[in-house]
Amino acid sequence: MAAFTLRRLGEMVAVLFAVSVLTFLIFNVIPASDPAQSMAGKSATPQLVASITEEWGFDDPLPQQYLTMMGKIFSGDLISYQGQENVVERIVEGIPATFSLCIGAAVIWMFFGILFGYLSAVRAGGLLDKLLTVLAVAGISIPVIWLASVLLYYLAYKTGLFPAQGYVELSEDPVDWAYHLILPWFTVAVTLVGLYSRVLRSNMLDAMNEDYVRTARAKGLGERQVMTRHVLRNSLIPIVTLFGLDFGALIGGSAILTERLFGLDGVGLYAFESIENLDLPPIMAIVLFGAFFVVLFNALVDIAYAYLDPRVKLGSSAR
Amino acid sequence: MSAEPLISVRDLRVGFATEGGLVQAVDGVSFDLAPGEVLAIVGESGSGKSVTAQTIVGLTRSHNARIEGSAQLGGEELIGASERQLQRVRGERIGMVFQDPMTSFNPVYRIGAQIVEAIRAHRKDVSDAQARERAVELLDTVGIPNASQRVDSYPHQFSGGMRQRAMIAMALALEPDVLIADEPTTALDVTVQAQILTLLERLNRERDLATILITHDLGVVAEIADRVLVMHEGKVVERGELDDVFYSPADPYTRSLLGAVVRLDAAPPLRPRREGENLLEVTDLVKHFPVKRGLLVNHEVDRVRAVDGVSFSVRRGETLGLVGESGSGKSTLCRAVLQLLAPDSGSVRFEGREIAGLSRRAMRPLRREMQIVFQDPYASLNPRKRVGQIVAEPLRLQGESSGTELRGAAQELLDRVGLSAEHYDRYPHEFSGGQRQRIGIARALALRPKLIVADEPVSALDVSIRAQILDLLAELQKDFGLTYLFVAHDIGVVRHVSDRIAVMHEGRIVEEGPADQVCERPSDAYTKQLLAAVPIPDPREARARRQTIGSA
Repeated sequence: MAAFTLRRLGEMVAVLFAVSVLTFLIFNVIPASDPAQSMAGKSATPQLVASITEEWGFDDPLPQQYLTMMGKIFSGDLISYQGQENVVERIVEGIPATFSLCIGAAVIWMFFGILFGYLSAVRAGGLLDKLLTVLAVAGISIPVIWLASVLLYYLAYKTGLFPAQGYVELSEDPVDWAYHLILPWFTVAVTLVGLYSRVLRSNMLDAMNEDYVRTARAKGLGERQVMTRHVLRNSLIPIVTLFGLDFGALIGGSAILTERLFGLDGVGLYAFESIENLDLPPIMAIVLFGAFFVVLFNALVDIAYAYLDPRVKLGSSAR
Repeated sequence: MSAEPLISVRDLRVGFATEGGLVQAVDGVSFDLAPGEVLAIVGESGSGKSVTAQTIVGLTRSHNARIEGSAQLGGEELIGASERQLQRVRGERIGMVFQDPMTSFNPVYRIGAQIVEAIRAHRKDVSDAQARERAVELLDTVGIPNASQRVDSYPHQFSGGMRQRAMIAMALALEPDVLIADEPTTALDVTVQAQILTLLERLNRERDLATILITHDLGVVAEIADRVLVMHEGKVVERGELDDVFYSPADPYTRSLLGAVVRLDAAPPLRPRREGENLLEVTDLVKHFPVKRGLLVNHEVDRVRAVDGVSFSVRRGETLGLVGESGSGKSTLCRAVLQLLAPDSGSVRFEGREIAGLSRRAMRPLRREMQIVFQDPYASLNPRKRVGQIVAEPLRLQGESSGTELRGAAQELLDRVGLSAEHYDRYPHEFSGGQRQRIGIARALALRPKLIVADEPVSALDVSIRAQILDLLAELQKDFGLTYLFVAHDIGVVRHVSDRIAVMHEGRIVEEGPADQVCERPSDAYTKQLLAAVPIPDPREARARRQTIGSA
């Protein structure tokens, strides 16, 4: 376990370094991205631009600029070009909204994904299975932006059943918190419920033909026990892998669109604004934030895998 | 055996509705089974023997199955019984053991937990701790050493033999009256098979257990059965006491089955002694597989000595049989000899020329001289290619000929191995196991090689097919002057085809010599053990042997 953790930490450092260098380079080759120019405003004098360039060190060699920026991210005093606010503080402020969105959506998508997948598999070929299949395929195919627009239009603007925009702190009012998040949760979860139920269904249908399922029946177990303890249990292993990857990716950036559409003041919305303004410091910090979670959840998946499947050994080279 | 029958099956029929009509898998099977009796149901694959047993306990669950007839357990009708009723019977009154103990345990639960589950499914009043204690006791009974600790092992931490013992322990957890063992030793090595058969026999004796043993192996039948039922295409073609079936079979199918068995103790056809130069010489061949683990850089923590200093030679035109159990390193040896795996050290000389360490390019012209036939004729033929393409592929790869020439050559090869030229355009799945193995042999023959390495060429085949393939190999050897390195785990088969035999154990050759000498006057302890474990398909011999062992 110690060896595994060390190895993974090493990998994480490498990934974060590569991602940050890439982001930094991409930003610096984009045309018309001179931050001094945009900070100085539309009708700035060349002197003002020059002094901003001087003050912020935009003339320094790129490696030095990179190192300065990374140093500031990790010491927590990185300042954005637009609005000149502390980037790390802004991200920390956005975390509750982002986590509320992602964790809530994850609970919904795992619950319904597993439930629908299980029902489909147990009733394979039946009416319920066919209905769930249609729903799942529809869910997978619906674009998030379309779904969000439809939900907002009918359930928020037209009928006023749900609030259209905004985020309420959980500590402030838990009911209102959930009320504001229902539509965003649903938006994120729909595609994944469809996907997970399909994957689980096919895993379970494969597992049903395994010899150990026949053994379970030969022992005299009831059909429900056979299905849950043997078929479902073993079929969930790949689902856990999938979940870790999807959840990491969701926190690491997939939530941007949803946060923007529902006006949730989270890390994703901040990312959206920063990209719009070509504001490098927050972009760098948010990219690292996202990459961190992707790598973290990859490692957690491996740990979970070794826990769920005793044949898998952590950190062996066969991985 | 005049006791009241425990199980009474009458006119059992199981049909499966398929697109091509109803396939009658079991067609009017009837039998009785008394307490303490071992009934062997014998048949080849597809004979309906497994379906019969599974149907009795309600495990034939396919939606397209049509089940008729009657199967009673102590007067209680099981065919058409409710799922609830059948669940009570399964595990509680009828225990089952299956062929492959690796896949028959759920890999994610501990062995003990799976036994506890079986107990608790029927005895809600037994606590987990009590059930666990019982599991330890059961594992101890079936001969798992150190059972109180091994109870917490996972299936993959057990060897094949231990898994099957655990499987038997689980089947016996609730002291059932009947044990159904479906090919219980087929996936096991012969020495392990002997132990499991002894265990089954002991349990049968001690517990007055009625046993249904399903097998294709007449040797196993002769070892432990009281009565025999021979099935063929869903029907019972022969039934009777063990000796009657073996010594005076009435049905022609039974006779052919008995005749097809390759017996270790039967003297094989006389083969002229081969003198002459060596075609293949292997000296001190070593192939180890490192086991690596490590922090940032993997380092070797252990090594598997798959081939550990092996030397042998094969003369031109002769057959060298290589025998060994699973894990003995025989497959690795084959691959290392053919340079499909680079050996760590040692020499392989083919026609006097060193080929170990030759580059891929330098090996290429030599590939045509040495070909391989694989064990599994299902996995080793590309399912998306036509049979003709498969057979002609080596010719095409060696740039031999093209177009119509290729087709002609392939058709000739198919004809040569007992298939017909019309088979050219078919796909592998349209053929039976034996026919597929013929296709594999045709492919190996395509380039007119001098040496053919046959890696377990008949072990996936039914007994009657086995003999045909062995005959084909012998015929081809005579016609083309082939030299064989014949690898198998079954020493009976090896003796039948080999001039000389080498016995492999834990990466080394422990004994080598003329076939008769190795089989009749073995000098190595392991060879003796291996020979003693081979079941003899002859009840009298088997009894005589048991008595000698028992009194010794």
